[in-house]
Amino acid sequence: MRWPGFVNLFGAWFLLALIPLIILYFLKLKRPRMEVPSLALWQSVVNDQRVNSPFQKFRRNLLLLLQIILLCLVVLALMQPFLRADAEVAVYKPLLIDCSASMSSLDESTGKSRLDLVKERVREQINNLTGDQRIAIFSFANTGRRLTEFTNDRRVLLKALESIQPLDLPGQLDDVLRMAAAYTRTFPIETIQILTDGNLPEQVDFELPFKVEVQRVDGGGPNIGITEMSARRSGPEDWEVFVRVSASSIDLRGAELQLWEGDKPTDSHQIEVSNEESERLVYPVHSTHSQLIEARLVPAGFDSMAVDNNVWLTLPAARPLKVWVAPKLASWRHAVRVLPNLELEESEGDEPTGTEYDLIIADEGGFGSAEAPVRVLVGVVPSDLQDLITVEEDVTYVVDWNRTAPMLRHVQLSDVQIGEQPKLAAGAATKELEERGYEVLIDGNAGPLMLQRREGLTVSYWFTFHTDRSTLPYRVAFPILAANAIESALKQASLADVAAAPTGVLPPIAVDGSRTYTIRTPNGESLTAESTTEGTLEGIPASRVGRYDVMDGGNLVTSIGTGLLSGTETSLQAAGELRISELTVATDEARQLDADRPFWWLLALIAFGVLILEWWYFQRARGAMS
Amino acid sequence: MTGSTTSQLTKLFDNSLLNQIERMRLRPNRRLTNRARGEHLSGKGGSSTDFADFRDYVAGDDLRYVDWNIFARLRRPYIKQFQHEEEMHVVLLVDASTSMMFEDKLLRAKQLAAAFGIMGLQNVERVSAYAIHSRQDLPWKLPPGSGRTRIRKLLTFLESVEGGGSIPIEKAIETMLRFHRGRGVAIIISDFLTFGDVSRPMNLLYSSGLEVWGLQVLAESEINPNVQGDLRFVDSETQETLDITNASELLNVYHDQRLWLQQALHSMCRSRQGRFMSVSSGMTLPTILFEHLCRQGWILR
Repeated sequence: MRWPGFVNLFGAWFLLALIPLIILYFLKLKRPRMEVPSLALWQSVVNDQRVNSPFQKFRRNLLLLLQIILLCLVVLALMQPFLRADAEVAVYKPLLIDCSASMSSLDESTGKSRLDLVKERVREQINNLTGDQRIAIFSFANTGRRLTEFTNDRRVLLKALESIQPLDLPGQLDDVLRMAAAYTRTFPIETIQILTDGNLPEQVDFELPFKVEVQRVDGGGPNIGITEMSARRSGPEDWEVFVRVSASSIDLRGAELQLWEGDKPTDSHQIEVSNEESERLVYPVHSTHSQLIEARLVPAGFDSMAVDNNVWLTLPAARPLKVWVAPKLASWRHAVRVLPNLELEESEGDEPTGTEYDLIIADEGGFGSAEAPVRVLVGVVPSDLQDLITVEEDVTYVVDWNRTAPMLRHVQLSDVQIGEQPKLAAGAATKELEERGYEVLIDGNAGPLMLQRREGLTVSYWFTFHTDRSTLPYRVAFPILAANAIESALKQASLADVAAAPTGVLPPIAVDGSRTYTIRTPNGESLTAESTTEGTLEGIPASRVGRYDVMDGGNLVTSIGTGLLSGTETSLQAAGELRISELTVATDEARQLDADRPFWWLLALIAFGVLILEWWYFQRARGAMS
Repeated sequence: MTGSTTSQLTKLFDNSLLNQIERMRLRPNRRLTNRARGEHLSGKGGSSTDFADFRDYVAGDDLRYVDWNIFARLRRPYIKQFQHEEEMHVVLLVDASTSMMFEDKLLRAKQLAAAFGIMGLQNVERVSAYAIHSRQDLPWKLPPGSGRTRIRKLLTFLESVEGGGSIPIEKAIETMLRFHRGRGVAIIISDFLTFGDVSRPMNLLYSSGLEVWGLQVLAESEINPNVQGDLRFVDSETQETLDITNASELLNVYHDQRLWLQQALHSMCRSRQGRFMSVSSGMTLPTILFEHLCRQGWILR
């Protein structure tokens, strides 16, 4: 049996009012006076009653009894009793409300979204807040947001709750848990409540400093949506656009998938998908210039979530890859020249003539002031690693290499002989290279033979030995290596493959350096951002699915589109368990949001009923006497 | 009462009822008489004309009472005895306290006292009357007296009695006994609603040679009180109060208590060779006299 708790125990002092109540009752009881010849008989009657039924006094003093009951009820109501919920009463309780895309899923019968259901329950919890409880509301999708401080101000909490809208973002718990954990230093938080539909990654890497209660809401109907969109160049001006459509229900669901170029549809397909088998479609697109294409899904019948029905993809303008190879690196030139869709600068100068290339392959002579997103430096030790790596005249060989690195994919280096020996300084270790931002791709027997470093949009590869002083150019691996370099450059320039940008943060956008741009978002808002000196716009938040226009004053610079592109969100499936660090937390739909339930209003209602009863009894007694 | 134009002897009842009362006699259970000559037959031999018995002659007997006819036949002297008529004392005690001032209790008590007194005086008994009240300006006792001429005094005394005061009946009886001499009947007309113990004055009356006749007069509102709800009862004599809640639920207990009191008074009187009766002040005097007292053998017509 669960005993009720009391918020205001001091209210019990009001029970002392029983004493004056009883005294005043007997002192001030207005009884009609009636003169009788003698009290002898009546006194005997009263004595007889007292002896025979001592408890009859209360029955006879029904008015007093009613007043005592009334006072007790009022005092109990003042003490603000409540029935304890399953959750322990936490004085400081953070509520983490999921507002990821799947929370916008609508129920077909009620038309309510999952977020609406969560709001209803949180609203009830806020309305039932007891005096010493404080709630802080956090919302989270891919990152967390604190909406209120710890407060028991219902107005503030309800206002914050109403401001929560579902975002077109996948759900992630990590950030919001860290935010909540930060508050444990200031407030004694014992338990946090997560209100979600359970559509979250099952594994969360986070050490919990508090107990977690996951309250899951279900609801939502069948959903179908686009979970993937990308394009691969199939010709100088041709692309193959891939679109994957998934569904949440077991039953096959029909839809029409349309491809739009600008404002006109160019292709469409009828598809049927289920949650067990997604559909992948390929659309050939001919494109001579950069353009934004849109995949639009028109479901047949009710669709629970609309945000995953549109995805935008920017196809870059068709152009050959611009490559410069140092004249002394004849082997590289030969290897590169034979590859298609590239423009190799054939000048014999030591430095490139242009300023911008897609790929630069240089030797110790450098490449002047030219810029390229992919750089391959052959026979060069990075200047900031000169103290760690020295090149000695000795034969070395490859010990191991990173076979998954894009540059070394399908490259076999086992029997390569190298006439130089890059050597780590005494006492130096690979860790120190990593601390300086370098990743070792090829390990030699004495030191690193190939390094990689990423700086913004630029990726640089260093061969610490000169390839011409090795057997590498004579191996099959060499043209593959060159092709991988070209492939990396194509990817970096988005000339080979492009993928639709998911919501969250826009991918870096190449613009003029150090300028202020305005980004117009799909919901009509405008953001201002300044490009870096290297000429990129980075970190632009994109919480909505749609088209983002980058404006320079009144001029449209470029457009980029986003899509939800989350198979997890589209599937609407709930994780049965969340593994937070090593702790497993069950998400239970049946265990709804159990708030402490105050019932002072019930006592007040009963007290009112008793008051009415007393009034009726009093009037009846008066009527009888009159 | 009757609408007769002839002058009424008393305001307590009309002359026709008076005539009927004059023909009635009290009927005590015991022959408690005084030595004084009266018309009440004593148990002893006397000098009346009514023959009672014979007895053997003894020396010193008055020869006038020897039955010579029997002496002639039996040759033995026998003395003839005659019944002795002695005077009986009738004490009337009328409770005129405040509690008797409800409805017609006091009037009925005075009427009954007058009736009993007239019956006594008509039969040459000594009649005295006492009124229990606290009025200093009014007489509270009528000294013993006999003879028909005493009737007017008795009626005047009783007419003058007015209610008031809170003297309990047991105290009044004790006071009365300080002045009383003689054997007979003590007729106590009261409501007997007292907090005190009446058994002691009953004993005193009995040991004084008085047969105790208790006549309880209750108002109709005392026999069947019509009360409901929460009330504060005020004692008419002492002004003390008693709070009663939901009085209607206590009526059964009230009736039980009233009947228990009557039973107790009846037992007290019976155990002292006396009588007890309870009447309602709502009854008429003829009803009480002819239907209750006659039937119960209190009086003879």
